Amino acid sequence: MRFRFCGDLDCPDWVLAEISTLAKLSSVKMKLLCVQVLKDLLGEGIDYDKVTKLTSDAKFESGDIKASVAVLSFILSSAGKHNVDSESLSSELQQLGLPKEHTTGLCKSYEDKQTVLQEKLRESSLRLSRLESVSWRVDYTLSSSELREVNEPTVLLRFQVNGPDPASKEPIVASLTADKFRVLLTELKQAQVMMNALN
Amino acid sequence: MLLVLTDEHKEHLAFLLEVDSAVVGEFGRIALEFLKKGSNSKIYEGAARKLNVAVETVQHGVEGIMYLLTESSKLMISEVDFQDSVLVLGFPEELNKLLLQLYLDNQKEIRNILSELGPNLPHYHNLEWRLDVQLASRALRQQIKPAVTFKLHLEQNGEESANVLQTDPATLLHLIQQLEQALGEMKTTHCRRVVRNIK
Repeated sequence: MRFRFCGDLDCPDWVLAEISTLAKLSSVKMKLLCVQVLKDLLGEGIDYDKVTKLTSDAKFESGDIKASVAVLSFILSSAGKHNVDSESLSSELQQLGLPKEHTTGLCKSYEDKQTVLQEKLRESSLRLSRLESVSWRVDYTLSSSELREVNEPTVLLRFQVNGPDPASKEPIVASLTADKFRVLLTELKQAQVMMNALN
Repeated sequence: MLLVLTDEHKEHLAFLLEVDSAVVGEFGRIALEFLKKGSNSKIYEGAARKLNVAVETVQHGVEGIMYLLTESSKLMISEVDFQDSVLVLGFPEELNKLLLQLYLDNQKEIRNILSELGPNLPHYHNLEWRLDVQLASRALRQQIKPAVTFKLHLEQNGEESANVLQTDPATLLHLIQQLEQALGEMKTTHCRRVVRNIK
């Protein structure tokens, strides 16, 4: 059986197994658990004490708690990843055996946070190195050891780049003459026109 | 298979003769704690003070028990062989029974700990990927060049490393095909025969 929220693939067996664990919770508690898991996916951290309190009624052991958090995490993040709307998610979860009230609760929480979740997923996509900041300075060289009257403007550029490792932050410094800088500027403007056309 | 104990080892274990069996039980428990978490010299000093002997004697006694247990677990010695090996030391019957019980109760756990000590190659931790299309470069406009970029996270002995790799879709398909062939090898009759015999 192909499910959209699994990316048009079969649903993993462990998800099927844990959906029955989720059904043991009351639907109100499950909606609150969804809210907690969404907070974790958005990077705000998960409050494990609240989670333990929510699941203590259904007498979940630590293995069950971890499993239910994992399955909710998977469902919500895959739904965001494959851009599934909340009605399709609701019908697919009901097909998998999640009771109707639980599904409605889950899909409502998903719908509320869908755009924010997708933004966060977009931000955490793989990026190799990022430009953090640019600073520049224009100097005017009066004279040097080679030539007495130089009278030439130079621009000094400093790019702060965050490398692929979180630890490497290297500044790249370059100085350019007016002509070279003009070439750089034209080429970059052409690239910008192309990027704007795609946006 | 009998364990052969060196003379030095026998000397260290001879200390156990001088104390009563409750203390030997306590030493056994301390030895297991050390195998799980690493040794702690303060416990040696406390025990030495209580028993009125030198710290080294206590240390050697506990280490002797540790070595006896690890060697027997390593070689998977049967009960009879363990009893015969311990007979050599000339301990009273009660002590032998105690040591045997200690060995049998903890054999599995000690084997688990020992299995983690083997040499370690970097292994898979996480894989991030992205699919890009190169539309233009400074040299050539109006291109279409898809590329897949990977960041392969590996882990070795607690250290993480990340490799950045890039490939075009044709090579990626070839890579997938080779890996699926490797997985498929498990289903050949030759592999099946070997696996059946190991189990």
